[in-house]
Amino acid sequence: MEKKNLLAQEILKEAKAQGADYAQCTVTESEKKEFNVDGGRFSLMRTLFNRNVVITVLKEQRKGTVQINRFDEDAIKTAVADAVAAADSGMPDPAWEFADGPVEESFIDGTPECDTDRLFARTKELLETIQEKHPKILMEQMITEHNGWQSVYMTSKGVTYRKTAGCYSFSLMYSGHEGEKSTSFYGSEVTLKTLDKPVIECGLIERELKMVEDQLDPKPLEGKFTGPVVLAPYALGEIVLWTILGNFASDGCLIDGSSIWKDKLGEQVADPSFTMSFNPYSEDVVISERYTEEGYPTANYDLIRDGKLNCFALSQYGANKTGGKRAANSSSGMTVKSGDKSLEEIIAGIDRGVLVMRFSGGSPSPSGEYSGVAKNSFLIENGKIAGALTETMISGCVPEMLKQIRGISSDTLKDGNGSIPYIAFDGITISGK
Amino acid sequence: MLQDILTARKALFATGAHTELRGQNSRNRRVVLLNGDVVGNVRSDVSGISARVYRGGVYGFSSMAEYSAEAAETVLKAATENAAFMDRHAPAGKPDIPPLPLKQYPAQADIEDAAQKIYVEFAREADAYVAKKYPDLVSRRLVTMEDSMEKLIIVSDGTDAHIMAPRAYTYVMMTAQTKEGMPVELFKAFGGKGTFGMNFSDPAKLYPEIDELYERLMQKREGVYADAGEKTVILDGMMTGMLSHEAVGHTVEADLVLGGSVAAHNLNKRVASDLVTLTDFAHTAFGEECPLPVFVDDEGTEATDAPLIENGILTGYMNNRESAQHFGMQPQGNARAWSFSDEPLIRMRNTSIHPGKDKLEDMIASIDDGYYLIDSNNGQADTTGEFMFGVTMGYEIKGGKLGKALLDTTISGVAFDMLKTVDMVSDKVTWCSSGYCGKKQPMPVGMGGPALRCKVKIGGR
Repeated sequence: MEKKNLLAQEILKEAKAQGADYAQCTVTESEKKEFNVDGGRFSLMRTLFNRNVVITVLKEQRKGTVQINRFDEDAIKTAVADAVAAADSGMPDPAWEFADGPVEESFIDGTPECDTDRLFARTKELLETIQEKHPKILMEQMITEHNGWQSVYMTSKGVTYRKTAGCYSFSLMYSGHEGEKSTSFYGSEVTLKTLDKPVIECGLIERELKMVEDQLDPKPLEGKFTGPVVLAPYALGEIVLWTILGNFASDGCLIDGSSIWKDKLGEQVADPSFTMSFNPYSEDVVISERYTEEGYPTANYDLIRDGKLNCFALSQYGANKTGGKRAANSSSGMTVKSGDKSLEEIIAGIDRGVLVMRFSGGSPSPSGEYSGVAKNSFLIENGKIAGALTETMISGCVPEMLKQIRGISSDTLKDGNGSIPYIAFDGITISGK
Repeated sequence: MLQDILTARKALFATGAHTELRGQNSRNRRVVLLNGDVVGNVRSDVSGISARVYRGGVYGFSSMAEYSAEAAETVLKAATENAAFMDRHAPAGKPDIPPLPLKQYPAQADIEDAAQKIYVEFAREADAYVAKKYPDLVSRRLVTMEDSMEKLIIVSDGTDAHIMAPRAYTYVMMTAQTKEGMPVELFKAFGGKGTFGMNFSDPAKLYPEIDELYERLMQKREGVYADAGEKTVILDGMMTGMLSHEAVGHTVEADLVLGGSVAAHNLNKRVASDLVTLTDFAHTAFGEECPLPVFVDDEGTEATDAPLIENGILTGYMNNRESAQHFGMQPQGNARAWSFSDEPLIRMRNTSIHPGKDKLEDMIASIDDGYYLIDSNNGQADTTGEFMFGVTMGYEIKGGKLGKALLDTTISGVAFDMLKTVDMVSDKVTWCSSGYCGKKQPMPVGMGGPALRCKVKIGGR
């Protein structure tokens, strides 16, 4: 850590010498261990030794950024010169603002050191357990890894954060097979602090494997109707949560004025049962975002509380551009408040609808309209799962959906990065053959 | 330019184990203007060395963010140890990869590096044109960028090469409002292979197409929702390129075939109408150099075309050297890595359906009630061949004539079913190369094709 600390100091000194009014840098050194499974068998082991330096300077309110992965003196001097030259070529923008010091903090998050033998053992155990308990599942690809890193963030305004961190992550891509029959592929992911229990018990992996196995005999939906759709956590993120963030509540859409929520702060934008938060300090998050890129310390916050738009997900730059208020973190630890009914109870209340595990659709429009294929999905009839679906499309409009929430499950996906439930929405267009 | 400190390290390669040593520098320059403000102004240079060693059916890999002889020795040692670890704990018991003859591909010229102010000034001038001419836009975004890869590839057997692959683009995005106050947007990418300077000398050269983009956005602002259901459509070349890449190309990548894709059961079977022939081109297609030519891949295989569908019959897969051995096929140079710290994966290069004999205007005139679909913002496909593409620009076809523009919609289908409905193919190919294919790592790819008349499912409201 000391070497990176000294390097960060040198970078700031060099930036000042080259005429920067403000400078900040992040110096990172990392090591990754990774195992790959392809087509159901081990294929690769990787060890990566990496470095990264990101330098940002402000000169006369003009900003320039350079990224390199070398620590030597010549490379650093050149990188600082390039960052200053980039700033020189830009245009003044008084909205750039960074945290004031003095602040000096150090953090340790997750598990910085890798236990390689245990990682391999848990990977092998997971593969063998799936082959034994879910014989119809073919693991197209599984990537298991440990990432460990040390970083120093330092600014010329006296802000310093040092972080030592590490975590394990498991990413599975698989499909169901029986003879020439196969299902759509599906992906499960978890980030873990420790390897103290079998990975199949983490996140929703076991449930998702079972559901994919049950999709080997899908049938197309006949006709078209408007009805309820239950979105599983990944599909909920894809259709609703990332659209809220990207299209309605973040820097880009608020600065350019395209957000349809730009004048709705404090207004009811969703059903009162819906609360969406960014909680980096939740126990469901393995690696917490401790500070923002602009150097501000982070805290948990509610973006939408009891259906009301509580604030926007703005950076300090975005806040200055729009006259708004900076959010308490950079949208990390996404959490949607769970409900009090199980998924089964929510399904039991639906006469005819669809459970969507994955969504494959075009990016929702700036107004939140979307359409796409309901992948890995099931028809719901008379309160029960009535079989897997194929070639079924769904379409809707996110702002309208948020006001037509039928139920939020108590079951949630806790994948190490937040907590997301299943949500049932009314009024979705569902079309088949 | 990377100095060759790697060839001398061949002496350290383990005997009898296929070994690759790769030095790489990846360069990225990017300027983003949002309504005239420079919100992104970034230069990135990332370099290092990686080694990959094959032993008994498993690979060991290691990389280091340093370009030096010591780093080469460190990653060779670590990759060899990783291969041994895997061979010991998860033995695959496979034979060695068949060797390729030793060759040397001629070194390519260095890549010119433009100063950042070139990117900023070009973006500002183009942005000023849009701002002045079209003040009614809700927002505008201009991006100028270049990404380039320099690779020094040294292999135990096969072709050593020193490759330069720059590409540069300007993206123009515009947002307008409907009468109801709802935002609608369109975007267009300009550019292609080569440096920024080779692609962009004068912003004014883009203005006619920027004007056309604005006109289409105004039409889209007055647009209608597509009527959901299965329809006869014309996919324009960009959409055909997406289809070639996403819906067919990925299913015939040999690693996905081994992972259970639909192509596993369809080799030498009919998967499309007689009018459909599809090839993943290496560097030359239809008598011209491809949008993103590949001459040697990262396993040291000289790149040749990979025929995939011939007159409707699935005839081949795309392979790396290991999968080619498995399927008894020839490797054709599809194994490519994104960064120095990435291992080569089976990737497409320039994937296109071959042109036919029909004229686009005749194809439109042949449809009584359908859609002409021109552009897409994203596409996804399943290993089953079920695909989905977002449609950002299209028109109704009524009585053989173009009608109103469409609001954003989505099309979907199952590739090997839908391709059997192709009954007209235009005589002109359109290429696109501005995006990245995502498959564990990003990768620049070219995709293209002629206009197709076919049946797909379209989403509506």
